[in-house]
Amino acid sequence: MSHDSNSLEIERFQWVGKKVGFYGSIFIIALVSVFPILWMFITSLKQPGNIVTFPVEYIPRDPTLANYRAAFEGAPFFRYMLNSAIVATGTAILSVFLGAMAGYALSRLRFRFKLPVLLLILGTAMLPFIARLIPLFSLARSWGLLNNYLGLIIPYTAFQLPFAVWIFQAYFKELPDSLEEAGLMDGLSRIGVLFRIILPVSAPAMATAAIIVFIYAWNEFLFALTFMTEDSMRTITVGIALYQGEFQYPWGTISAAVFMSVIPLILFMLFFQRKVVEGLTATGKA
Amino acid sequence: MADTADSSPISPDAEGSGRQNRLQRYRDLRFSEEELAVILLTPVVSFLCVVSFYPIFDTIMASLHSGYVLEMNPRQFVGLENYRSLLGDGPLLDRILNGGGFWNALRVSLIYTFVSVPIELVLGLGLALLLNREFKGKYFAQAAILFPWAIPTVINARIWAWMFNGQYGVVNDLLIRIGIFESAFPFLAKPDTALIAMLFITIWKTSSFMALILLAGLQSIPDHLYEAARMDGASRVRQFWDITLPLLKPTLLVALIFRTLPAFQAFGLPFGLTGGGPASATTTLVLFDHQLTFNRLNFGEGAATATIITLIAAAIAMIYVQTLYEPEVR
Repeated sequence: MSHDSNSLEIERFQWVGKKVGFYGSIFIIALVSVFPILWMFITSLKQPGNIVTFPVEYIPRDPTLANYRAAFEGAPFFRYMLNSAIVATGTAILSVFLGAMAGYALSRLRFRFKLPVLLLILGTAMLPFIARLIPLFSLARSWGLLNNYLGLIIPYTAFQLPFAVWIFQAYFKELPDSLEEAGLMDGLSRIGVLFRIILPVSAPAMATAAIIVFIYAWNEFLFALTFMTEDSMRTITVGIALYQGEFQYPWGTISAAVFMSVIPLILFMLFFQRKVVEGLTATGKA
Repeated sequence: MADTADSSPISPDAEGSGRQNRLQRYRDLRFSEEELAVILLTPVVSFLCVVSFYPIFDTIMASLHSGYVLEMNPRQFVGLENYRSLLGDGPLLDRILNGGGFWNALRVSLIYTFVSVPIELVLGLGLALLLNREFKGKYFAQAAILFPWAIPTVINARIWAWMFNGQYGVVNDLLIRIGIFESAFPFLAKPDTALIAMLFITIWKTSSFMALILLAGLQSIPDHLYEAARMDGASRVRQFWDITLPLLKPTLLVALIFRTLPAFQAFGLPFGLTGGGPASATTTLVLFDHQLTFNRLNFGEGAATATIITLIAAAIAMIYVQTLYEPEVR
């Protein structure tokens, strides 16, 4: 009897140990993942004089918003964020639209040269960006697309199309044939079927594609750096990367700017992460 | 939607078939499957031809010319001259191991790619396995763990440059507090440690992307396989090797390709972290190409570098597809 309760005790002890170990490791990994942003936030609240001290202070004494004020005075960070938002939204919409069209054709229509076309589209994903930079820069210049939102939206869409097409064709392939048959039977044209039946049930694939494309466009640097030469047209990534203070390197101001620039991404992750995983899961099955 | 019909290359109504017929078509938009496929694919394919294939072709041409500074000078055909001056001369092995400029950048990029990607894959798989379980607070844990993926690379580089700062960096402070270091160490000012710091940062960031992709793959493995294995008495380790890993293989392939090619083209991280220094220790191929093109305005050699990057990227992609792709009947 006592032996039994003893081993139960041990089991219970092991169970608690396992739980603690599991949650402990989750906590540490999560902390390591968010620490840099947390650190930016902490730095941004410090008095300018307390930023360059060693040993560093982990909890700001007399927290201040002076760094945020300096960030807004030093550079048009709101304008940069607006530029990023326009470019990223435009890219997401265009990619979803074109990707869904091509994905539908490649997954649900019978036609010749289907595999070569699919490989052609996916193959463009392998082409290095740096090898497309200068020719596209010349093109954008001769078409008047430098310092123009379309000048970034068009190349970004082209870069993300293989991915969007892949997501959509994988998703569409899994839909039952009866959906289309019912639509055709009811007298819809094939385009009608696409717009009235297939697209409305494809919200998960659209969400996945739109979110990933949006984050890509928000984060891109090489083309944004090269194509937007006017300060007022810069995206937030370039704005922060090129930000220099007047005197010594302004870590406090940078921290404030960085923290503001990732707020949309934090919200994105909190609200949409499950959508991303779900959408990718659906395509993984294909 | 009526205007898409106008752009259809395949509906050349013969003169005889008449207006009535065409009107009917526009009204109903009843195309054959093949016609519709052409209509839907033409915008995408022509888009990609202009924005993806033409530029590559143009870059290859530029690599065979000199004086190609955005039309300011007329181009002059020089054959392989750009490649010759880029690659230098002397024993090949010596250049590969000790050469500067292009060869140094190639070494940095290869080390960067083939050290970081396998580690990211293993760590990402670990994270994905952890997140594939159900537990309290999973939603927030998952948002936190996947967060590094969403941070812009170049901003991430700036963040870590501050954290690795040799005088006031928090990394130094933590290492001293733990007792590993006695005094602050200028990580980014020494060639070896700068490269290691860069590897650490990219692994930190990209493991979460790997986790995202692999988590999706894990969730698509049907539960009944594990149940059957449990009934047969298979241990968790056995289940991992016999069910998880084989069924995850396609996802692993996608994750590898998705990561290897971008890693090989790393630009934002060295640009924002060190600017390629110290002593070119963190100058990746694309950063080298960028400096060649924009700082030294050597468009010919820049294009030659870009062409070589394209060839290596194609080779990497083909090797992966060859080794990991299993033909399926679709």
